[in-house]
Amino acid sequence: MNTSEFIVRRILLLIPVMIGVTVFTFAIAQIIPADPAAILCGERCGLVDPVTGKTMLELQRERLGLDEPVIEQFRLYLINLAEGDWGESTTYNRPTSDVVRDAAPVTLEMALFALLMAYPIGITLGILSAVWQDQVFDHISRFLAIAFVSLPIFWLAMMLQLVFGTGTDVGGICDPIFGTEGGCFPIYGRHDAALTYPDRSSSLCDTAITGIACYPSWYPSGGTGFHLVDSWFVTDEALDNINPEYASNYKLFDDTLVHLILPSFTLGIASAGSLLRYMRASLLEVMNEDYVRTARAKGLSESRVIIVHACRNALVPILTILGFSIGGAIGGAVLTESIFAFYGMGNVAVDAIINLDYSVLMGVTLITAIIFLMSNLIVDILYGVVDPRVRLE
Amino acid sequence: MSWEDGVEERGESLRRIRESAAQARYDFKRGWKIYRRSLLAVIGLLMVISISVVSIFADDLAVEHPGRNLQDTRDVWHIDYEPRKAAPFSDECDTRYQKVSLTTLRRWDANGTNALSPTRVADNNSFYEDILVVTEFIELQDRYGVTLGNDLVTLETSNKSYFWISEELMENNSLTQIKLIYKFENDAMHHWWLPDGYDVCIFGTNDEGQDLFSKILYGSRVSLTIGFTVATLTVIIGTIIGSISGYFGGRTDEVIMRITDIFFAVPGLILALAFVAALQAIDNFTLPLWFAFLLPLSGLCIYFRSTIFDSIMPGETSFPEANLPLRIIVVVSLVVLLALGGPWKDFFELADSSGWRIFASLIGLMIVGGIFILDRRLMDNISLDGVGSRTLNSLDWRNPYRYLTFRTLVIFIASIALFTWSGDGDNEVTVIDNFDRLWKIQIALVFTGWPGYARLIRGQVLYVKEMTFVEAARSVGAPSGRIMFRHILPNAWAPLLVAFTLDIGGTILSASGLSFIGLGAEPGAAEWGKLVSDGRAHFPQDYWLVLFPGLAIAYTTLGFNLLGDGLRDVVDPKNRR
Amino acid sequence: MSDEEEILIEAKNLKKYFPIKSGMFSSAKAHVRAVDGVDFKIKRGEVFGVVGESGCGKTTLGRLILRLIPITEGTIHYLGSNIQNMRNAELRRKMQIVFQDPGGSMNPRMSVRSIIGEPLIVNGLADGAELTKKVGELLEIVGLKSNHMTRFPHEFSGGQKQRIALARALSLDPEFILLDEPTSALDVSVQAQVLNLLQAIQKERSLTFVFIAHDLAVVRHISDRVAVMYLGKIVEMADADEIYNNPKHAYTKALISAIPKPDPSSVVDREVLSGDVPSPVNPPPGCAFGHRVNHPKYPDSINVDLSLVEVAPNHWVQPCPCCTEI
Repeated sequence: MNTSEFIVRRILLLIPVMIGVTVFTFAIAQIIPADPAAILCGERCGLVDPVTGKTMLELQRERLGLDEPVIEQFRLYLINLAEGDWGESTTYNRPTSDVVRDAAPVTLEMALFALLMAYPIGITLGILSAVWQDQVFDHISRFLAIAFVSLPIFWLAMMLQLVFGTGTDVGGICDPIFGTEGGCFPIYGRHDAALTYPDRSSSLCDTAITGIACYPSWYPSGGTGFHLVDSWFVTDEALDNINPEYASNYKLFDDTLVHLILPSFTLGIASAGSLLRYMRASLLEVMNEDYVRTARAKGLSESRVIIVHACRNALVPILTILGFSIGGAIGGAVLTESIFAFYGMGNVAVDAIINLDYSVLMGVTLITAIIFLMSNLIVDILYGVVDPRVRLE
Repeated sequence: MSWEDGVEERGESLRRIRESAAQARYDFKRGWKIYRRSLLAVIGLLMVISISVVSIFADDLAVEHPGRNLQDTRDVWHIDYEPRKAAPFSDECDTRYQKVSLTTLRRWDANGTNALSPTRVADNNSFYEDILVVTEFIELQDRYGVTLGNDLVTLETSNKSYFWISEELMENNSLTQIKLIYKFENDAMHHWWLPDGYDVCIFGTNDEGQDLFSKILYGSRVSLTIGFTVATLTVIIGTIIGSISGYFGGRTDEVIMRITDIFFAVPGLILALAFVAALQAIDNFTLPLWFAFLLPLSGLCIYFRSTIFDSIMPGETSFPEANLPLRIIVVVSLVVLLALGGPWKDFFELADSSGWRIFASLIGLMIVGGIFILDRRLMDNISLDGVGSRTLNSLDWRNPYRYLTFRTLVIFIASIALFTWSGDGDNEVTVIDNFDRLWKIQIALVFTGWPGYARLIRGQVLYVKEMTFVEAARSVGAPSGRIMFRHILPNAWAPLLVAFTLDIGGTILSASGLSFIGLGAEPGAAEWGKLVSDGRAHFPQDYWLVLFPGLAIAYTTLGFNLLGDGLRDVVDPKNRR
Repeated sequence: MSDEEEILIEAKNLKKYFPIKSGMFSSAKAHVRAVDGVDFKIKRGEVFGVVGESGCGKTTLGRLILRLIPITEGTIHYLGSNIQNMRNAELRRKMQIVFQDPGGSMNPRMSVRSIIGEPLIVNGLADGAELTKKVGELLEIVGLKSNHMTRFPHEFSGGQKQRIALARALSLDPEFILLDEPTSALDVSVQAQVLNLLQAIQKERSLTFVFIAHDLAVVRHISDRVAVMYLGKIVEMADADEIYNNPKHAYTKALISAIPKPDPSSVVDREVLSGDVPSPVNPPPGCAFGHRVNHPKYPDSINVDLSLVEVAPNHWVQPCPCCTEI
């Protein structure tokens, strides 16, 4: 099987899963005890339309297709999904696709940055742990690995806020290290309160009103939503119109980064724990292989044996858990977002449940599924490229 | 016929029980030998034991019940208590602010008041038998915070829970209310293992003056219950689905695995959120009557499993079976009969009296039993001679193996109870009466958790299925059911034990997470996640309200994870012998 | 083969192809031809040896005879009736199997009593105290003590385990036992004991054995007749002494030359086989062995009918132009 055929097959395999997920979200929306029509028309539900002789409630139901049989509703739902119409949010009074479009990059940025922090930590500790197997370091790091996955993420977040957060800095640990005063990392929000970041949600970037283009013409309008990247592309024109304290690409980036470190670190800890375990196990297995023994027998230095021969092969299986860790990080983001006041998918989902905003809930479930499946697809393809045996199956 | 006919069989079955006990003992010894090699694992075991002990003896260890508040005197007439937070080990723990309304005192024409009403004792744990004893007045303020002389109040010498307010104070008409700060002591709150004066102070108190330590102790009950319930239910569901998937393979396997894919496609916590949302409007968890019949029905299906599955999916293992059509007819008609529910429903509606229902249950049991016996007769060529006498023998109390009689009785009573119970109400069976939010998150976690187990057990079954002893069992003509239950599952459950242990920890984490975002425990409940979330309002100033409940979660989860990790070594085939 | 002797098992053009599938929607793309057209007859009371190297399909052949896997093509008759049409219970009572790996063929969580007694229980022949008695007898027949029945498989040595496996096979009092490399997992010293036990039991109960092995010496010791298999086909079949003294097929010769000689001084020109066994997925046409050793006459074999021919009384061989001397 060649690579392109392999990729096509992998994509085809996703289709039934995606259909399953839509059935699933639809089923949940059916069970949720809320009448979206009643929420949309509110107090005017009882009013009778003089032309049709129907109440507003009935008209809303008709408009939303709620008077159709369930199968028909599902068909409509699928067609609308395909056309990009994800429904109307009853809490935000905006299209669900917009709500999700704004929230998804926030979570994704946090999750990816978390993995960026978790991988070096987990892999390094895993390698050292395997190299010094059954020594003190190994015992400590194995304990740490288990401890990392045992910590409640919301609690860890608050403890980190306590120790490193601006204004809290218990015990003054942070200041001497980072040379700051009164703590080093802000504990709330994606940006300082004084900064209105030029993105889709800011009125500054509404070209129709202000006439200012926040991003170059080739760039997605309103930015990608990943502020770590967007920061470098904000146009000078836009920079002139924001708080002068932040008016440079670097300062925007710095502000984003500083706000992202604590939430991402919190999120990354659990991933680092499981990575450590996998890396250790994988490396130990590889170290018992004949080719590593041969390398040793050839008289290569131990460090060369480990780095060149063992680690390279041990890292391949680690790739597979990358996809899963993205899913785990997105799940965990539900909790960190609420603590660090990031307005990502987690917060949106929780709000949706509290307000029984079923279309947003469906949207969030669907988008997380898409992200998860896509990341697994990419990992699978990478794996197929790195390890040709996989393609044969 | 007399019971002597069955003596040898019973001796055998007693022997078999002894044999399996010996096997279990051997397994345990071997396992423990491997387990104790790892210090971390032993520590984990101790952690789990300690938290279990704490949850069992929470009543004796805690100083106050979570639903109560020792310092709360709001319901006492003319005394007003101002609840306040006290940091761990701070002096404020055994002092309190109390407002005394002088207007009320004047109106009632009495100037004596007690520190705590003895009438508040209303707890079956009898925590509040003793009343507070005031040991010392610290400060007396008017309602603007101006300090008055301490001598304006006096302690009643005979009963130190009473104090008197001086005439001078009473006559001062500009004062409507005074605020009293005093130290107190309460024998009921004192435990031998706590240092003097720190009864409610080890972890501090929350903004309502409730003892955090007690709440955490009681919280262990909630968390452990959730952990065990969810893990057990998930294991059961996952094992059933996974073993079906693994054993029968083919299309069943494909369908089940695609369903698990869907579950895996959505991150667990978000999936659980969605489920909780879907369950929101349901007040009690009921199952329709026909579903209750699914239980005996599934029993039948398991019994006829080889026929059903072999006829639906003729795979590599399938061989033509004699009497196949007959069995299919029996099974299909039963399924139709039970699934439609019509005749049964009417039957039970008619049978209103409980006597009737028991009678109906007995008849149902006899039908089922008859089918079983008939099936054995037809399929396994077992002689029907002596079936009656054997059944009678097993009911005879004079026989030397009474546990068998006991077992038969238990099976009988349980079946009758099931049938009787299932006939109650409006064609519905109430499974969970009080379907509160805690239950909802448990159900949601079970729903999101089973695919993991299903995959695990499927992999195990696939692995064990290829072992020679399974082929050996087939080569002597063992039916599918026997192969599954006697050969495959007993050799496949070991990794399940590890997953089960780890899952208890994971469930405690997820449940507390859901509680934290406000979907789990009801407000004010002694649930760790809820405690953290309640403490968040006072964070970071009153850090202890977050620190300690979180530590409790981490401690318990860590304990179960270390335990599971140790068990993994025990189960690892590399460590066999 | 004299006519008055009863034919117990007869296989005609027996084939077993395993499909290679790659995904849920795709049908089989290729087949592993594990057994590819095999014919033989087994007489009642004889020991029929099957030899060949690993992967030649001899184990699959055994599974086919026992109906443990479905047949792709061809038939097997047991005493004249097609085994496909026999009732499972009937078949299992008449034919039993002893597996190669004595440890693996026993459920580690069952006591010896349950292991040996299982055939009796599932066939409804004995239970309870009667079972205990029967298991005790069986254990003594295979040279173990009856009080061993409360123990578990891991408490026994390899040879003892194989005795238990034999006891299990004997429990239904079958007419035919298939021995799938019963001694290859054992130490040489134990091998001899087990072989002698097998021979004794076979004589005593006048059982019919099919003895599968890769070791020609062992097969010769126990078998009356021997079939040599190569890549899913029988290449040569004759009485044990005949095939040993007068091999016709080059593969048989190679196998015989590989038997170690007890006399170290005797110089044997051992035939060392070059090349690898061809893949059974796409076996080469014609004589597979000729293809392997890259015989110059190999192309001649492609268009020849390779069905076995009787070159001497009871000596059948593949009429292969490159590998057979006739």
